[in-house]
Amino acid sequence: MKSKDSKSKLIDDMFEDFLPNIHRAFEVLKDILKRPSAMAGGILLLLILLTSVLFPLVFHINPLDQDLMARFSPPVWQDGGTWKHILGTDNLGRDILSRLLYGSRVSLLVGFSAVLVASVAGIFLGLVSGYYGGKIDHFIMRIADVFMAYPFMLLTISVIAVLGPSIFNLIIVLGISDWVTYARTIRGSVLSIKTKEFVEASRAIGTPDLIIILRHVLPNVISPLIVLATLRVANIIIWESGLSFLGMGTPPPMPTWGRMLSEGREYITDAWWLVTIPGLAIMMTILSINLLGDGLRDALDPRLKNL
Amino acid sequence: MKKQYLSILIGILLCLMMASPGFARDAKTLIVIQESEVVGLDLMRSSLQNTMSVCYNIHDTLFHPQEDASVKPALAEKWEQISDLAWRITLRKGIKFHNGEPVNAQAVKFSFDRIKSPEIKSPHKGKLSAFSEIVVIDDLTFEIKTTNSFAPGLYMLAIYLPIVPPDYIKEVGDTKFNTDPIGCGPYKLEKWIRGDSVILERFEGYYASKPYYEKVVFKTVPEASARVAALITEEADVVSGIPVHKRKSIEESGKAYLTSQMGVMPYIGLNTYEPPFDDVRVRQAINHAIDRELINKALFDGKAIICNGAISPRTFGSAPDLKPYAFDPEKAKALLTEAGHPNGIEVRLAYPTYMSQIQEQAEAIGANLAKAGIKVTLEPFERAVMWERYKGKKHQMYIYWWDDAPEPDRYMYSLFHSESRDYYYKNKSADMLLDLGRTILDRTDRAKVYNKLDHVLYEDCPWAYLYVIPEVFGVSNKVAYKGDRDGFLNMYWAKPKN
Amino acid sequence: MLMLPGDASYQEIEELREQLGFNDPLYVQYARFAIKAVQGDFGESLYYHVPVMELIIERLPASLELAVSAMIFALVLAIPLGILSAVKRGSMLDMGSMFGALLGISMPHFWLGIMMMLFFSIHLGWLPTSGRGTFAHLIMPAVSLGLSLMAMFARLTRSVMLEVLSLDYIRTARAKGLKEQVIIYKHALKNALIPLVTVAGMQFGFLIGGTVIIETVFAWPGLGRLVIQAIFGRDYPLVQGIVFVFSFIFVGINLLVDILYVYLDPQISYSEEK
Repeated sequence: MKSKDSKSKLIDDMFEDFLPNIHRAFEVLKDILKRPSAMAGGILLLLILLTSVLFPLVFHINPLDQDLMARFSPPVWQDGGTWKHILGTDNLGRDILSRLLYGSRVSLLVGFSAVLVASVAGIFLGLVSGYYGGKIDHFIMRIADVFMAYPFMLLTISVIAVLGPSIFNLIIVLGISDWVTYARTIRGSVLSIKTKEFVEASRAIGTPDLIIILRHVLPNVISPLIVLATLRVANIIIWESGLSFLGMGTPPPMPTWGRMLSEGREYITDAWWLVTIPGLAIMMTILSINLLGDGLRDALDPRLKNL
Repeated sequence: MKKQYLSILIGILLCLMMASPGFARDAKTLIVIQESEVVGLDLMRSSLQNTMSVCYNIHDTLFHPQEDASVKPALAEKWEQISDLAWRITLRKGIKFHNGEPVNAQAVKFSFDRIKSPEIKSPHKGKLSAFSEIVVIDDLTFEIKTTNSFAPGLYMLAIYLPIVPPDYIKEVGDTKFNTDPIGCGPYKLEKWIRGDSVILERFEGYYASKPYYEKVVFKTVPEASARVAALITEEADVVSGIPVHKRKSIEESGKAYLTSQMGVMPYIGLNTYEPPFDDVRVRQAINHAIDRELINKALFDGKAIICNGAISPRTFGSAPDLKPYAFDPEKAKALLTEAGHPNGIEVRLAYPTYMSQIQEQAEAIGANLAKAGIKVTLEPFERAVMWERYKGKKHQMYIYWWDDAPEPDRYMYSLFHSESRDYYYKNKSADMLLDLGRTILDRTDRAKVYNKLDHVLYEDCPWAYLYVIPEVFGVSNKVAYKGDRDGFLNMYWAKPKN
Repeated sequence: MLMLPGDASYQEIEELREQLGFNDPLYVQYARFAIKAVQGDFGESLYYHVPVMELIIERLPASLELAVSAMIFALVLAIPLGILSAVKRGSMLDMGSMFGALLGISMPHFWLGIMMMLFFSIHLGWLPTSGRGTFAHLIMPAVSLGLSLMAMFARLTRSVMLEVLSLDYIRTARAKGLKEQVIIYKHALKNALIPLVTVAGMQFGFLIGGTVIIETVFAWPGLGRLVIQAIFGRDYPLVQGIVFVFSFIFVGINLLVDILYVYLDPQISYSEEK
């Protein structure tokens, strides 16, 4: 077989695999539309995402503007609250709604980017490890063990303590510490798929590894992966807020949910809204992601679908 | 099988819970809550406020330090200055350590040599550097000598030289002494549960009148709200580290009251060795750009004292005629323009994260400076990193603080004398005045020297001066206790109220 | 307050570094560390001036107590809840508890801790705010640490039970006319416990990591709080020691789970296949 032929065949094959996948995606979408909780989660998440991107169009309060004499102004529904600061002000008289909105950008950015970093690394290593097995598998899994053996939280804290806090460092550190979960999941799926008849048959007729992986293995492991990635976004956002809470998140004065929480903690008895509101924001976001993730899992995983 | 595992687990859990102590409250037990953990009980080896507080109940010193930087007798009964370079001190007769060892001149000499020795690595060594040696005259009498005349000498000894038992230390070694100390103070150690509490028991053989409380338990609660709650719910009798905004709730609770102690004096150090702060006009501009009054009103309920210079207004020798730099962004801008920065400057402001209310102070100051065209990037650092960068001259502007001790030499020498540290600022006339302040023994003349020093630094602005925030202890209404400016909790002085 | 700046001079700190060997090349430091570490000697804490191992042994029980309590709390509540939800699938109870579980997973545990502190200690005054001592001290830290685990286990129990209940042998048992309760508790639960135990084992490691923040919030005198203090204070020997111990526990439990996994699920093999 000439190399040119094999290349064009590869492209053909990929294209061939692509169509049914699109078809499948529509199926999944339809499936989700039938599930009210997943729908609710999806809509909520969409709203949160849209708000966090588009709010500057209608909302113009600077999250950094201080009004020291108006500090601890309560939310509008409580005595002493004003429409000027709908959710009240913090310990420096800054508008909490504005900080919440800007903070959502950091949380979501870190959450999604870290998952992207982790999943790309995890998919690659998991595929290689599961498909080829042997020494490579051994090597990658031992590295994974090292990562697993080092407590996730400690790893991120120590690295941030050394590198210094910044959004970029957070994304990289959280992403790198989280690849193992993906790699292990993928590897597990690959291990069980590669013994299946159609894979063995395909290998028997001399199909190149890359094509087997792309054509047979990847499509079959993509479902757990999407579910996993969705749910991990939620976890990462929680961890990011935890790091910010410990003072190791993004540097001030940029508002983040975790920092709002930790700054408000000092005033917990005087101004309940300082800790409660960002906490609720985190919870709403995570809840929406989890609802959607659950729906996705039920839709994508035929095993659970039958239940 | 599974049931077995579960019962084993529950068994382990129960054992663990039994092992942890609960404290019975009774009228003769005093519970003290501090904000950070005790790290050791050898006073010579720690400079942490909360740790030292516990230590002062176990260990005793030659004198009691007073609020005006003078001293009163403690272990020492009388003393006289026999020359510019020496004091002769006589100890009280018959004093014993908790283990029965006598407190004599040899023990004082041993203690002095121990704190000076390199093995101990005492953080207080530097404070006693002016003292050269102790000569034992007889069992109760000794002479302590200095290399130069050292005016604050007795005050320094009163705070930094605990008298420790020579035989016991030689027997058990330094490491054990740090965990199982023997002192001659009013309380002896009953038990130290590391990470949890230090339990002290009244020393029946104390040389002065016995302390009232039979037991004192020092506990740690890092959360400020939780500490205040513990005080109000009467879980605790004495509480340290009370944030400004919590003070009202204590006063209004009817369960406890406040007693003031040391003041925290934050300041912004400026790196005068590098542009833009090598120009005095830029440094003055910074001073004019900070709205101390507003920050005081908003962040400290108006309870802070605005600083009019480097020496705290509460410290001996501070110049009363100096007016704090007025908040005037226009003047600041003019000064910047004059110094060649018509479009303002960009600066970095570093601060240590472990100080209370520091984040909001830094952010408020940053917003102030922005109004005068000074763009600030905030740099929060953990304790150790902050310190490393500090001595590595990596800061441009940095917030640090000192307690506003009654004795000016205690902080001014350390912070401004070029022999001590010249990381960011050096000034020959300041050096000269600081040396003079150490050696002049007459209090009126000494005050004049520090007055002059205050003026010199006011003009030269090596810092942006801020304010002194008086710290308070919260004390239960059942207990009478008055806080000291040194900020330590010596429970010897606590009595039941009425 | 605390360590006042200027309490140790530059000279003294340099001497200290020299003494501790921080000025040696990294590999020399590492070799020295590794040799001593396997003997259980991590040196002396820079802060406490006592051997690191001594500190760890003192603090470990507190952390284990917290983690084990959180685990017990999670399992004891989650299993019945999960079973009930599975059995009464689609009922209000099922939907209610599953939504509750979802909420539980969606809360940062430290936030839950703060909220509980706000409500139960400061507002109601029922529970002590922080510290370790009586059973009352344990409640809030254990619950806030264990709640998300409980939620997770409840969901897992439910889905595993549903799966098991639809299997052939259960149908056979039903056909044989066995009592529903016997079927659920004797046959179904037994099988459902297997994945649960596996996941619980794996999550124990997560728990130990989670103690880091919860111990800080509640001033729980365990290893988690100690390690944060050590990291912030640059107490390197202490950090190394604690990380070593944490990792040791992690690896031990992971190994156990891995072995269990192969043993329980014959579909996965670790032998090389070509």
